[in-house]
Amino acid sequence: MKYLLMTYGNQEKWASLSAEEWPAAIAQQDAFNKRYQQTGELLGAYGTADAAMSRLVRRVDGLPVVSDGPYLETKEYMASFYLLDCESEQRALEIAADMPWADREPVELWPILHEAQ
Amino acid sequence: MSRGPDADQDLLRELAPQVLAALLRRHPGAFDSCEDAVQEALLAAAEQWPAQGRPDNPRGWLVTVASRRLVDLVRADRARREREERLFLATPQSELLGRAADAGPAADRDDSLALLFLCCHPALTAPSRIALTLRAVGGLSTAQIAAAFLVPEATMAQRISRAKQTIRSSGLPFALPAAAESAERLREVLQVLYLVFNEGYTATGGSDLTVAHLSDEAIRLARLLHRLLPADAEVMGLLALMLLTDARRPARTGPDGELVPLAEQDRSRWDAAAIAEGTALVERALPAGRVGPYQLQAAIAALHDEAPDVTATDWPQILALYDLLLRVAPGPMPALGRAVALAEVHGPASALEELGALEPELERHHRFHAVRAELLARSGDRAAAAAAFRRAAALATSLPERRHLSERARDVA
Repeated sequence: MKYLLMTYGNQEKWASLSAEEWPAAIAQQDAFNKRYQQTGELLGAYGTADAAMSRLVRRVDGLPVVSDGPYLETKEYMASFYLLDCESEQRALEIAADMPWADREPVELWPILHEAQ
Repeated sequence: MSRGPDADQDLLRELAPQVLAALLRRHPGAFDSCEDAVQEALLAAAEQWPAQGRPDNPRGWLVTVASRRLVDLVRADRARREREERLFLATPQSELLGRAADAGPAADRDDSLALLFLCCHPALTAPSRIALTLRAVGGLSTAQIAAAFLVPEATMAQRISRAKQTIRSSGLPFALPAAAESAERLREVLQVLYLVFNEGYTATGGSDLTVAHLSDEAIRLARLLHRLLPADAEVMGLLALMLLTDARRPARTGPDGELVPLAEQDRSRWDAAAIAEGTALVERALPAGRVGPYQLQAAIAALHDEAPDVTATDWPQILALYDLLLRVAPGPMPALGRAVALAEVHGPASALEELGALEPELERHHRFHAVRAELLARSGDRAAAAAAFRRAAALATSLPERRHLSERARDVA
């Protein structure tokens, strides 16, 4: 079954990591990505831009209206997402628990029910 | 006999495991190179035969081409200059092609079995076993397997190559296991084929003709296994279970891809030939000896398939079969099936009571809540039934099931 693994955070959290800590954090994440790409279980790993870059899109009277996003009340934003293909939920949980970021913040794991063919 | 590209494809897929086995017999330590060489030979045949005609000895042709490719691969891979491989290079082609006078069909049979056992070895993870079996025994390409499982081809290639490395590094033998181990290992093979079948049966079937239909593939491999082990009752049981289940495929989904439950299916659309074949297999298997879980599940499927409509179903007999099944293979899922039969025979109240005992184990399984919901609806507790259907929908693992369960929640409320 496929799973979506997501990490969340906000500027305050990113800033709490010192400049010296970043290279190690990135190396850890790269190692995680490599490890599960090699087992054939990680289908893709994506990092999103800062919340300042995101936009809300609606259609009003058939015309697109684009405004700054995300919703103001959102305190944390999605920072990255990973697409997994695992033989069991158990295995997906194991991989999620291996996420370097899980030391600092919980990571979200969602089963994927459907994929367009 | 037509000689179109389709006939070539069928023949190639039938010969794939035999050609691989011929190479492995000579060269048991290089599963991955042999397998790559066979794939390349199959590709060459698929390209050349339609244009140049099929050779007189297709199998010999494939073995020759695959052997040459293997030599190239081994030469190209300087890191693997093991003694065995050098010995192999010194083996004359005639040795590979010619067979000893006493090597008849039995040798072929043992080779194909040994190959299945190797691909389903417990040292490999379930996805690896499935991928390797489909490729090495089923003769499917990596692209076809990837498409069938909706993963990128690179992912599937990675999975297959790691599986082959595991086989090489753990030195798994290309040989039939000793009799004592054989039964245990055969169970692994049956399990892998059953997993492939289920994957195909529950997947939302695309109409893409280039994607192998996994349940067809599983049936093909189960037929092969049945040819190799014609007296084994559980192999008969598994093939029968697949045929009897797959027979309902045309009636299982409505015009918009929605799920149609067994009770509401148009039984005239079931595949009568598959039902006849499956039923005959069950009838041969059951008296043959050791009754196992696949035979019992097939017998239950046969009783469903034989009933002209749902009210004519022989529920007391199904209940008796579930009792047997729980004895030979205890588990929460057969217990859930038994609860359904119990409700049909003795009414929903006693079945709901049985479900209470299963709850701790099945609380996160959608089927449990769906069964419970149906029984609650039958006993007239509509609010509880709707809540249980909603819970089942929330836990469903496929979109058509989720839609169906959400609709049931609306219907009973």
